[in-house]
Amino acid sequence: MLKIAVYGKGGIGKSTTTSNLAAAFAKLGKKVIQIGCDPKADSTMNLLKGKPVSPVMHYYRDHDKEPERLDEIAKEGYGGVLCIETGGPTPGLGCAGRGIITTFTLLEDLELYETFKPDVVLYDVLGDVVCGGFAAPIREGYAEKVLIVTSGEKMALYAAGNICSAVKNFEDRGYARVRGLILNRRNVDNEYEKVKAFADERGLEIVADIPRCQDINDFEDRGMTVIEGNPDLPISRIYLDLAEKLLKEDGQEV
Amino acid sequence: MKQTFALISTYSSDEFGICSALYELGGMVVIHDASGCNSTYTTHDEPRWYDMDSMIYISALSRNETILGRDSKLIEDILETAGKYRPRFIAIVGAPVPYMVGTDYRAIAKILEEKLGIPAFGFDSNGMQYYTRGMRDAFKAIAERFALTREISDMSIDERPIKVNLLGVTPLDFGMTGAADSLKKWLLDHGMECNSCFAMGSSPEEISKAGNADVSLVVSYGGTGAAKVLKERFGIPYVFGIPFDTAQLAEELKKMTTGNDLGKVAVIGEQISGLSLAESLKDLGIDSRALCMTDHIRDPRVNPAGMDFRYAPEEDDLIRELADVDTVIADPLFKGICKDKRFLELPHMAFSGRMFERDIPDLIGKGEWLYERIMNEIKS
Repeated sequence: MLKIAVYGKGGIGKSTTTSNLAAAFAKLGKKVIQIGCDPKADSTMNLLKGKPVSPVMHYYRDHDKEPERLDEIAKEGYGGVLCIETGGPTPGLGCAGRGIITTFTLLEDLELYETFKPDVVLYDVLGDVVCGGFAAPIREGYAEKVLIVTSGEKMALYAAGNICSAVKNFEDRGYARVRGLILNRRNVDNEYEKVKAFADERGLEIVADIPRCQDINDFEDRGMTVIEGNPDLPISRIYLDLAEKLLKEDGQEV
Repeated sequence: MKQTFALISTYSSDEFGICSALYELGGMVVIHDASGCNSTYTTHDEPRWYDMDSMIYISALSRNETILGRDSKLIEDILETAGKYRPRFIAIVGAPVPYMVGTDYRAIAKILEEKLGIPAFGFDSNGMQYYTRGMRDAFKAIAERFALTREISDMSIDERPIKVNLLGVTPLDFGMTGAADSLKKWLLDHGMECNSCFAMGSSPEEISKAGNADVSLVVSYGGTGAAKVLKERFGIPYVFGIPFDTAQLAEELKKMTTGNDLGKVAVIGEQISGLSLAESLKDLGIDSRALCMTDHIRDPRVNPAGMDFRYAPEEDDLIRELADVDTVIADPLFKGICKDKRFLELPHMAFSGRMFERDIPDLIGKGEWLYERIMNEIKS
C-alpha cells in the first residue's frame, strides 16, 4: 500500500495537486483513499463534482457521538476514490490538531484499511506541521512518504524548509520521510532554478513540474480534476506520470 | 442526559485498568501527567500497594512542557530512572492533557526501546474511557511483547493436565479475595492446570510462557486483547466465562422473599462476570438479566447459552433496563437507582474502589457448564 502525505504552504495548490494525483491513481486502476486533514474540509471537492462529503468533525458536532459506519463519513468520488474530510472545530475555538488525531483513531476503529483495502492512501494536510495533530499523518502506521508542494516564491520555499526540518526532527521516531518536491509553478522569475537549488541543498528530488494551466481552473469550476475532465491533456499526463512513478517505486503494477 | 451519572458512581478509568494489569509484572509504569493525586490508582486505591512493590513513575508534566511539546524531557527522565531501577519493560500511560495535545506514545516508546534495549510501549489512555479498555490494551501489549515462543508437550491432553491461560484477572474485577488461587484450584479440580495468569500471582517468566497453553480462559473483558494475540500467534483457542458457585447467593436471594417469588432478577457488572453469574444462577432455577455499562464483546461466543444480556452505557439506559426488574444483584453504589427493588450487594472494586473491599466474596467454584465449554473448544 502506497501511503503519501502532501504538505506545503497554504494556498500553494496542495488540494488541487492531491486530488489530481488521486484521480490519476484511480485512472490507472488503483483503489484510492484521499483524506483531507485541513479544517477547511475542501480537499476532495474536485473529486465529488462539488457535492462535498460531510466532514468527520461535523458528524461529531451534529450527532454528539462517534460515527458507527464508514458510509456516514466517507463518499466515493471520481474513479471510486473514497473521500474523507476531517473537518475541524468551530473556527477560533477547540483544537483542530486533536480533531485530526481523533479522525485517524476513528478510521482505525472502523477498520478503514481492512475493509476498503486501498492500493493508495493520500493525506492532504494543512500548510505546516504546526503541532502534534498536524504531524499525525506522518506518524508510524500512516503515511510513509511526504511530498511537499512548492512554487519558486520565497514564502512557499520557506514553508517547505520548515516542513523538511520538522520531518527530519522525527527521524528517530520512525515517521515518514520526504520523498520529494512537487513544483507547482506560479511563473516567478527563474522559478525552476530556485526550487532546484532548494532541493539540491537538501538532497531532494523534484518529482513533478506542474506548469500554470488554465485547464486546471476551468475544470475546477466544474467541480472536477483535469484527469476527469480530459485525461489526454498534457497537464493530465504530468499527474499520470507522477502516479506511475510512485506506484512503480512502491512495487505496484501499472 | 448523556455521560452524566447523577445517582450512581462511575467505573474506574482506563489508566487504572492499565496500572492494575501491569502491577505485578516488573515493568516501570510511567504515568504521563501533572503531579498530584492522579496516581491514587497505583497507591491508595491499589490494594496490593501496601504489600507488594511495583515501579510507578509520575512524569509531573508541566504547562510549559505541554505547550512546547517537550517529549525529549520525558524521554531523558525515563532513561535516567530506568537506568537506576532496571525494569523489565517501560509502559507509558497517557492522561488527559497529553491526550489532548496528541502525544505520540508509540514514537516515544520506539526511542526508549532503542536506547534501553528493553521492551517499551505506550497507551493512548485519556482518563475518559473505562478500565476495561485499559486492561485489554495492557494485557494485549504484554502478550505481544513477551509471549514469543510455544513449546508443545509430546503427551496428548488425555495423558496430562490441560494447560490453561487465565486472562483478565485483576483486583478491579476480582478483589483481593484469593480468586486467582481459587481459579487455579478450580482448574486442578477439573484435570487442568494454570499455565499463566494475566496477571495476579504469576511471575513474569510464567507470563512469557503463555504460548505453551492448550486453551485460554478469558475471565473478563480485559483478557480479550491477549486472547486474540495468542490465538493469532499460536492458534490457542479461547473460551469466555468464570466458574461461579452461586449457591450462597441464591440462598440469600431466596431469603429476601416469601414464597420464592423474586420476580425479575438483574445482575449489573462487567460483561463476562455478569453473564457467568446469570448462567450459574440459572442452574439453580433463577433466571436473570445481565446488564453491563462498560466495554463489551460482541462475539456471540461470549454468550453461547443465550442469556438475556443488555448493554446500558448511560445511567438513563440502566434505569430503563431496570424498569421491569424486581431484584438486583450489584455493587452497593448502584442502590441509588434501585430504591424500589430488592437489592443483594455484590461489591465490585472497579465501581466502588475499596469502600466495600472486605465484603467482596470469592464465588469461584463448581461451574460444570464452563468445564464442558472448555473441553468442547479444545476438542473442536
